[in-house]
Amino acid sequence: MSITVVKRNGQREAYDANKINLAIEKASEGLDENITWVTQIASELELTLFDGITTQQLDEAVIQVALQNVKDDPAFDTVAARLLLKTIYKRVLGDYETDEELARLHLEHFEPNLRRGVEEGLLDTRLIELFDIPRLAAALNHERDDLLKYIGVVTLNNRYGIKGRNGDALEVPQYFWMRVAMGLSLNEDDPTTQALGFYEKMSKLEYLAAGSTLVNAGTSYPQLANCFVMEMQDDIEHIAKTVRDVMWLTKGTGGIGLSVTKLRSMGSPIRSNNTTSTGPIPFMHTIDSVLRAVSRGGKKFGALAFYMENWHLDFPEFLDLRQNSGDPYRRTRTANTAVWVSDEFMKRVQSDADWYLFDPLEVSELNELYGAEFSARYNEYVADAEAGKLRMFKKIKAREQFKAMLMSLQASAHPWLTWKDTINLRALNNNTGTIHLSNLCTEITLPQDEDNVSVCNLASINLSRHIVPSTGSGQARFTVDFARLEESARTAVRQLDNLIDITKSSVKEADFSNQQNRAVGLGVMGFTDAIEQLGFAYDSEQAYDFIDEVMEHISYAAIDESTELAKERGAYPNFEGSGWSNGLVPLDTIDRNEADRGVPITVSRKSTLDWDSMREKVKKGMRNATLMAIAPTASIGLVAGTTPGLDPQFTQIFSRNTSSGKFLEVNRNLVADLQKLGMWEQVRESILRSQGDVQGIAALPDHIKEVYKTSFQISPYAFLEVAARAQKWIDQAISRNMYLESRDLGDMMDVYIGAWERGVKTTYYLHMKPRHQAEQSTVKVNKAEELSDAASARAAGEGEKVGAGAAPARRGFGFSGLATKGE
Amino acid sequence: MSGILGTGVQEGLLLKPVKYQWAMDLYDQAVANTWFPNEIQLDQDIADFKRMTDEERHAITYLMSYFNPNELLVNKALAFGVYPYVNAAEAHLYLAKQMWEEANHCMSFEYVLETFPIDRDEAYNAHVDVPSMARKEEFQVNFIKRMTEQTLDITTTEGKQDFVRNLVAYNIVLEGIWFYSGFMVALSFRQRNLLRNFGGLIDWVVRDESLHLKFGINLILTVLEENPDLQTPEFAAEIKQMILDAVEMEEEYNRDLLPSGILGLNANYINQYVKYLADRRLEELGFEPEYKVSNPAKWMATANDTYELVNFFESTNTSYETNAKSVTGSKSE
Ligand SMILES: [Fe+2]
Ligand SMILES: [Fe+2]
Repeated sequence: MSITVVKRNGQREAYDANKINLAIEKASEGLDENITWVTQIASELELTLFDGITTQQLDEAVIQVALQNVKDDPAFDTVAARLLLKTIYKRVLGDYETDEELARLHLEHFEPNLRRGVEEGLLDTRLIELFDIPRLAAALNHERDDLLKYIGVVTLNNRYGIKGRNGDALEVPQYFWMRVAMGLSLNEDDPTTQALGFYEKMSKLEYLAAGSTLVNAGTSYPQLANCFVMEMQDDIEHIAKTVRDVMWLTKGTGGIGLSVTKLRSMGSPIRSNNTTSTGPIPFMHTIDSVLRAVSRGGKKFGALAFYMENWHLDFPEFLDLRQNSGDPYRRTRTANTAVWVSDEFMKRVQSDADWYLFDPLEVSELNELYGAEFSARYNEYVADAEAGKLRMFKKIKAREQFKAMLMSLQASAHPWLTWKDTINLRALNNNTGTIHLSNLCTEITLPQDEDNVSVCNLASINLSRHIVPSTGSGQARFTVDFARLEESARTAVRQLDNLIDITKSSVKEADFSNQQNRAVGLGVMGFTDAIEQLGFAYDSEQAYDFIDEVMEHISYAAIDESTELAKERGAYPNFEGSGWSNGLVPLDTIDRNEADRGVPITVSRKSTLDWDSMREKVKKGMRNATLMAIAPTASIGLVAGTTPGLDPQFTQIFSRNTSSGKFLEVNRNLVADLQKLGMWEQVRESILRSQGDVQGIAALPDHIKEVYKTSFQISPYAFLEVAARAQKWIDQAISRNMYLESRDLGDMMDVYIGAWERGVKTTYYLHMKPRHQAEQSTVKVNKAEELSDAASARAAGEGEKVGAGAAPARRGFGFSGLATKGE
Repeated sequence: MSGILGTGVQEGLLLKPVKYQWAMDLYDQAVANTWFPNEIQLDQDIADFKRMTDEERHAITYLMSYFNPNELLVNKALAFGVYPYVNAAEAHLYLAKQMWEEANHCMSFEYVLETFPIDRDEAYNAHVDVPSMARKEEFQVNFIKRMTEQTLDITTTEGKQDFVRNLVAYNIVLEGIWFYSGFMVALSFRQRNLLRNFGGLIDWVVRDESLHLKFGINLILTVLEENPDLQTPEFAAEIKQMILDAVEMEEEYNRDLLPSGILGLNANYINQYVKYLADRRLEELGFEPEYKVSNPAKWMATANDTYELVNFFESTNTSYETNAKSVTGSKSE
């Protein structure tokens, strides 16, 4: 069959294999020359061709074929990324042949595309008024696109790039970085120079602004803030106002944390019409529906986490919100849930004591108290309850409720556990009021009230881009570039501080709080990527010391930069009375927390930098109420091409399911190490067969097995230790994803009590190791052989529970001459 | 008869002692893998469906039209041809769970058929109206009929042979080859970022079917082991030929599925995959492979073979289990 290709203009032409081959050859430039890139991709492509394929489909088909080989060699990902970039260049800039031409097109189209964006009302007019555009255009460097992996190019293109009113893509990746840099320099005296500084950092993927900022910076709708934190008051007007605020904030792409602790419980009296309340659950369902109705930036569903203290009478129902079965009107399918846990509760769990649930209407001040004061008042209410002085209460075993939480966490990944006393006692910013909740991703800890919807603005340093070849004579091949790390931290803090003066929201309480507190959260990503390059295992002392040291340096530079900004631009309005104004730094809060709790907090207090002079500096003024927070970086981590936040490698080969599709991720550090040993080709099928677990592969050396564990093989206590060490330097919190193989509730209780004991403020999603898997397609499978293996393993007492009744190898129809003959 | 086959109504009423541990293990796994189609929301998929090409929409509709009635056909094969002739209580437990799963699969495809904007009459009638589809159904029905319309005596060699024939027809051929090639086609859309939530539904179905296959293959191997009278070259040759015939039927069906071709997929490509699958099933039954072709769908490594890390804000996580309670260990008491 002869294949014809339908061109964009509708004309047909004969399929030209040569043209495709040249494109593949170009895309594999500089990669391993021993691999026959062109032959392999071209021959697999031919299997999929059909008559009448369009040029656009053909481009996509080539990329798909390159991608399906990533399992054998991650360099195919580079080929796919380059092929996709080429289609983006052609769409945005037009046809080109050479690299020089491509650079020229980047230069020439920058200004016209900016102008078009402004004319179509998409971009901020100031982008063409305030900047020396030729100088910016001259700095654009398309070679930096080579830093992007395929999933990074896809994510940039699908989610962050600006499109014209008619759907034309207006941005290539370097235009995108520059537009974001410009959008965050609008308030500077010399915006051009500052934008160049921000561009330099972000286009090299050294740090990235968070998602909302990347989407909206420089646009005519600059809702740049990432996180909003608010609560519902126990009054119908405020509930209605909250629904309205959730709608507006969702429209502007922000994620929301919303506390419902103050709402009176079900059955509680309502004086105005002499009836009783339905409790908070139906209102939560209402908000959940709002999230689905108002899509974020037209792309995703809204995202929100409800917080509730676990002494609320309706807490048992709160635990069921994420269950799939049951009354759909008492469920929240879209919104997430998190529980706000006190030290009093944790102590009652440990001593197997009772736990009392109350109606907030009767115990209204509990939500405002924390630490020892909370405990004292709680115990008074317990006495009141037992003395019959309360209208409503319920008594259960603390341990039973803790187990119910963990059971729900295991079955539905909710609620996330967050510790209110650790958060409040380790905060430097709660001089304006109690912190009542965290946010959508459990890394933000800001006080709020009826007049303040708290706002946080995030960026994340990519640690793997601060690992450089070692110059010393020691054994280590790589080392940390601390000077670059400091520079990244300082630049990022300035960028975040600018954001506050540029961003807009449609909720006046949010704009007010943003101006009064100027809260920012600088975090990190690429922790595991970095330690793998350094040759450290996740659960090693070296890794713990690494995160401790790196976070200390980043925190020191960030705090110092904020004191400098305070000198230049003034301290934040709520500074007086803050922990900072009393000369406290994050490290000092551990002892305060411990003294209140009366139980040791088990984390090292070691420090290496000159914090005494920093204590003096912060007293004089800070530009920002908060500085540090480690966000999950699930999306920007993809753009940066590194492991998100402090997350481990899920496994050494796994798939990511994102809104841009499903992608295979092969750990490139492992592949590089195995290629050096000349072993990759020999073991890659085994690694795929075991779904990315290298421990059972006998041929591999121990140090490889040590460094490359799956997230379920790493001790859960290692996740806690890494978080506890990082938390020493972080004034807000950490989105700590957890991974567990064990489904034993006793083990889970130990792990989560361990988090509390280490002074960890919050935990995030819990990933359970999947126990069921479909029959694999691309590796050799023979279930009859597996069964006899399992049977002999059982017979030998190794006890792998897969199970076949009969011991001898099973041959099925292999008894006859016919079966072995074949055809 | 003391083996796995038998018809005594009053036998096999007690589970203990468990003789066929594999059946018990599969039952436990199946229970842990319980899901409901309404956990999947199809809003985005409907938007995708509307912007797909005519041939792509045809392929999806055609797949649904085939899967929907054939899920229930598997249940008939189990109810008439397997359950009555098996004696072990642990096997009955598993079969009961599998039958619920097939019902659940049927309801899942029903859910999709009722949600997607398609010509439903045409879709529901296709298994009768489209000759290549009707032919596959007839093949199955013939083997089931032998178990019902004639009174089958499971103690005779001929009875046992019919039992194995039916088992091979619904399990190896229908579930193990025909369904599996359909799963590959269905999942290929997700690789192009289309029908992602439908893809999640298929993930669940594939996990179930993987267990169905394990059960079926175990049962066949057990019956063969326990009954030397079935171990004849003639019978082996007949079974092998059934599988080769099934491949030929599937090739014709796939040419109707994709008359021209869509991005990344055409009938020849799918049929190479069918042959790859058929070789795998032949080897699992102890035969030599017939076609010796490579797997053209290397991307199944991404789509199906690896653990999936879900961005919770963007996708339904299909990895959570509904019965956390059943696994609490003694330490927590
Ligand atoms: Fe099924
Ligand atoms: Fe099945």
